[in-house]
Amino acid sequence: MKKLAPILIAFFFFSCSSKEEITQQQYSVEGMALYKTHCENCHQADGAGLRDLYPSIQQTKLSPEALACLFKNGKKGNGFMPANAKLQALDIAELVTYMREKWGGKKQIYPVDSVKMALQNCR
Amino acid sequence: MLLKNTVLSLLFAVVAFSCSQEKKLPFLGPKTVNATGDTVYHQIPDFQFLNQDSVLVSQKDIEGKVYVADFFFTTCPTICPKMKTQMLRIYERYKERDEVRIISHSIDPDFDNTSVLHDYATRLQVKAPKWNLLTGDKAAIYKLGQKSYMVSAQEDPNEAGGFVHSGAFILVDKNRHVRGIYDGTVETEVNHLLEDMEVLLKE
Ligand code: HEC
Repeated sequence: MKKLAPILIAFFFFSCSSKEEITQQQYSVEGMALYKTHCENCHQADGAGLRDLYPSIQQTKLSPEALACLFKNGKKGNGFMPANAKLQALDIAELVTYMREKWGGKKQIYPVDSVKMALQNCR
Repeated sequence: MLLKNTVLSLLFAVVAFSCSQEKKLPFLGPKTVNATGDTVYHQIPDFQFLNQDSVLVSQKDIEGKVYVADFFFTTCPTICPKMKTQMLRIYERYKERDEVRIISHSIDPDFDNTSVLHDYATRLQVKAPKWNLLTGDKAAIYKLGQKSYMVSAQEDPNEAGGFVHSGAFILVDKNRHVRGIYDGTVETEVNHLLEDMEVLLKE
């Protein structure tokens, strides 16, 4: 009976978090790793940026669609953010999901299909 | 037994103490022996480049200074921002000490002209002559990097950003001898540099 308890608890735990939640967590964890590889150099681990050279991304007002285009195509404004051709739609979905959770406090997945749509409509 | 332990720990203390007092830094690079039989240590040769304020900077401007050199380019997507974060620590720590200088050589001088460097320095909030960002003849820059500072710096279309270069910080003493090379992307390595800087400042 004692041996059964942890299994029961595990079962209970899993059935509680919906499939959606689990996927969101997976996306977020992957997104964190991607952020470390592709973004942290410039925007720093805490997203605060580096003086006036790289902006803070903690309070960005950009929509998920705009973010998808920015990550893929880069931007030459006052500063220069290089395009990152290595990022696939899934990577971008994971990155946006991670950013939303980390700095937006919002646990909501950004689906791959939305990324693909957004990328077709980049200006 | 007790006595033995006391003696042992005393000995240890003495050894440890004498070691920490006498930290000496090596002279890096090829050595030669001159006509009178003295060892001549590798030295950074004369150079001339323009900085972010379009001022010509040469070895004369760093005479008698301890300085840290590195190689970068302003559009670098990979390790440069990390290096600049670490270099800022050095800059802030020695802001008020005129004996310490920083020199960052651009390895993409075609793009990084003086006005690009000026903009970069302004955004990074750093000033010459404490921190000189230098540009100039590409071949001269690569030669200085490879032959004198002993780090890799060259064009490579396969590399992200188009250049291959090491993230090294090179510590140079008041007589232009290379005394330490550190990984400028790693915080703990730069801690060592800061310790070694103190050793050189006392020389
Ligand atoms: C080489 C440095 C660099 C890298 C690498 C980089 N960025 Fe940027 N990023 C910038 C710069 C510079 C800007 C500002 C561009 C401009 O508007 O001039 C910027 C802008 C942004 C913005 C917009 C901020 C706003 O609200 O306007 C976001 C969000 C962002 N970056 C996220 C990322 C993410 C996520 C990654 C990784 C996929 C990344 N960046 C990789 C340099 C970089």
